[in-house]
Amino acid sequence: MAAIENRTFKRQDGKDKVTGLGRYTADLQLTGMTHCKFRYADVAAGRITRIDTTKAEALPGVFAVVTHADTPDLQHGGYIQDRRLFAKEYVRFEGEIIAAVAATTPEIAQRACDLIEVDIEAMPIINDIEASLLAGSPLVHADWKDYGDSYDIVREGNDACHTSIVHGDVEAGFAAADHVVRERYVADMQHAAPIEPRAVVAEWHGDQVTIWSSTQVPFNARAGVAHTLEMPENHVRVIVPHLGGGFGGKCEFHFEAHVAAVARKAQRPAKLVFSRREEFIAPDHRREGMVIELETGVKADGTLTARRGKVIIDNGAYTADAGFFPELAGMHSIGPYRLPAVDIQAHLAYTNHQPSGSVRAPTAPQANWALESHMDELARTIGMDPLAFRQKNIVQDGDTTATGQVLDPHGAPQCLQTAAELIGYGRELPADEAIGFAIGWWPSFGSSSGAYIKFNGDGSATIITGAQECGSGAVMALPRLAANELGMQPEDFSIVYQDTESGPYDMGSSGSQTTFNNGRAVVAAAKVLRERLLEMAADKLEAAKGDIELVDGTARVKGSPEKSVDIAELAGEATGGDQLIATGSGTPPSAPEVDGSACVGRMGMDSWVAPTFFCHAAHVRVDRETGVVRVIKVAAVHDSGTIVNPIGAEGQIEGGVIMGVGQALLEGSRIGDDGRILNAGLLEYKLQTMADAPEIAVAFVGPAGTNAGPHGAKGIAEPPSVPTLAAIGNGIAAVTGARVRQLPMTPNRVWDAMNA
Amino acid sequence: MSDKMIVKATVNGEECEALVEPRTLLVHMIRESLHLTGTHIGCDTTSCGACTVLLDGKPVKSCTILAVQANGREIATVEGLETAAGLSVVQEGFKEEHGLHCGYCTPGMMMTVTALLEENPDPTEDEIRKAISGNLCRCTGYVNIIKAVQYAAGKKEGAAA
Repeated sequence: MAAIENRTFKRQDGKDKVTGLGRYTADLQLTGMTHCKFRYADVAAGRITRIDTTKAEALPGVFAVVTHADTPDLQHGGYIQDRRLFAKEYVRFEGEIIAAVAATTPEIAQRACDLIEVDIEAMPIINDIEASLLAGSPLVHADWKDYGDSYDIVREGNDACHTSIVHGDVEAGFAAADHVVRERYVADMQHAAPIEPRAVVAEWHGDQVTIWSSTQVPFNARAGVAHTLEMPENHVRVIVPHLGGGFGGKCEFHFEAHVAAVARKAQRPAKLVFSRREEFIAPDHRREGMVIELETGVKADGTLTARRGKVIIDNGAYTADAGFFPELAGMHSIGPYRLPAVDIQAHLAYTNHQPSGSVRAPTAPQANWALESHMDELARTIGMDPLAFRQKNIVQDGDTTATGQVLDPHGAPQCLQTAAELIGYGRELPADEAIGFAIGWWPSFGSSSGAYIKFNGDGSATIITGAQECGSGAVMALPRLAANELGMQPEDFSIVYQDTESGPYDMGSSGSQTTFNNGRAVVAAAKVLRERLLEMAADKLEAAKGDIELVDGTARVKGSPEKSVDIAELAGEATGGDQLIATGSGTPPSAPEVDGSACVGRMGMDSWVAPTFFCHAAHVRVDRETGVVRVIKVAAVHDSGTIVNPIGAEGQIEGGVIMGVGQALLEGSRIGDDGRILNAGLLEYKLQTMADAPEIAVAFVGPAGTNAGPHGAKGIAEPPSVPTLAAIGNGIAAVTGARVRQLPMTPNRVWDAMNA
Repeated sequence: MSDKMIVKATVNGEECEALVEPRTLLVHMIRESLHLTGTHIGCDTTSCGACTVLLDGKPVKSCTILAVQANGREIATVEGLETAAGLSVVQEGFKEEHGLHCGYCTPGMMMTVTALLEENPDPTEDEIRKAISGNLCRCTGYVNIIKAVQYAAGKKEGAAA
């Protein structure tokens, strides 16, 4: 493993968070502040025939009631402009917002919401993703043709995005195979479920608005407000107080404009705080339900010959950021394997469900679970050990992937090997226990990102970044990169972040991209300052610039450490003259070349910048009488390129593993015949507790990434949530001989599979 | 308005009074009347534990206790953990061992741990896992939380010896 040495890592927000003095959005209190509540559709589909807010407006304590009539008449959406802030003519899922109220207390606001009279004419409910795509299915959006869209998205009726990944001759591959195995897997909808339910506070100053929001992506939130309320972006300031987790659920523009609109009408600040139920039903970001059909040809010696796949993804009622999901799911249905021919058809099906949107590694946990379960079934079919089968087929250095990308040196095979060692594969286990493996891959996301660094007169420095922190520690670790360039300590830097009026654009705490992209920006800014310091020191020490080095807070002549000047002294002089201020941005790594000539609806996901590779091995115990699965240990091995901050990186892996255990065994939304979620609470949608959590062994392998982030770092936060599900499923199958083909693999489903 | 009640309680060692409706939950009194917002709300079903405080030394989930039930009793919240001598060993443990990411569950988690170590100064890993299983964390995978508790237990033992 390549790494920046030094394991010390102290969060700058650590004391704030352990003393309880750090403020999250819901903790904010402004003078004259009102409380906001939403009126939801509460039905999955219908046509609005009447909205009457008279009684709500007359309720004492109510300052404003806002509906579609109070905001610009336009539609928005990154891929398909298919949605509105407030429902106008149609409602398409239960959490669709019809009105917002601002009142003196949350209780009065809620009562006012209840007093809004809404008549909704029932419409057919599209409650099944496969039925959605059948010819003659009622349309979720009857006027879909009139919507604007982006990125050359290929869509037709309820199919919001069709992507295919087609390479090689699949029929010839099947003809050459000794066995062709065809299977079908189904994944239920899941949720990000951050422990902090989201909150938004909006306050107007003339025609400018300041919004405090629990968002992972403040710049996107700002753009959304500016677009939907028709304001210039510099009239919208988004500030993110401490963010209580996100996991993708708080990506994108969500409710900021609704609260801004109601605050404007109320002429007072307004605060929205979600209940846990609202956190489950309203956000247009939850993990998508899926149906995955895979058909793979394999020779008796274990060689893969071809794969045909069909993936249907639940888009929900609106498209959010899911336009790239079909292609991404297609890539995860292929996996990091040598596969000469593939034909994957992937679709994004509109339904009357809550919209899907990026939740930590969108599409990958489900698609990887299906793929890696399928791989074990293939191994079983030919009587080959699952580890040996993967070792035979896993991609090697210099391999060309199914989409035509040539892989730079990577650690994929080493991930598999190290995981097998860490979990102790091959040893004798009790009859009810077994080990399952799953491997996978995930792209790094190159994006524009910016940061400034300024020196203060005493030699301390401040990083002002557009990056956002949702708890991962990625922003907290940025000083390590600056310190490394400038011969200083991380503690010498403070950070200003999560305010759109201070730092430059960054795409936020999403896509595992903070170190990858903003790290690059910080390094670029630090390099500018490094040059300046070297020049100043060269003058002062009467030495050539090339002979100066920055070490331990000093600029000194190489080989003559006594000839040195403190960086603090240089900073002090600069503060009275030409200041030490720098900006950094830089060009993101370019996407590798691929051949997509036979594909339709390409969305840029068939070429991966600095791909990461990983293998998780799960040691499980199955209670044969009840179907209850206990995960005893997970070995999680990742090629994430260079590890900039080992403690932070390990924390991401450990958190991802536990999320994976939950996704594997417990987490799933149940949907009623009326299209509504039946278990929108933490009593019924259970998360992993500390008592459930397995032992986790983490290792990083592989070389420094090429075409990657600073020092060869790759994205790290999303991949660990991907392969644990399949590793557990394969462990269950190894114990019981039964394959569970629906997520989550609850005790009922395990028992049913065993007793089928 | 006339049905409001006065709740008198000792909060973090100080006598406090709050005027609340009988239906008011303890967590709302703590956050809105006493302005101690370190106690968080993550659900309303005692599932997550973000609102955990100590009532007469016992950890309780303040989202499902009425404020009036705290009348005449001692409440400890996260804001009371730090003293003039500095952070408590539990706070120090979470900070030093990277036992928090987003930090939202941390105050409730630390209150449960504080009570645990009062009762059992040298818990085994299993005892720690069991004791804190009522507090959910979505970020850390719990690994460093266990290390944080062990750090605190070690420090406490060191101080006692």
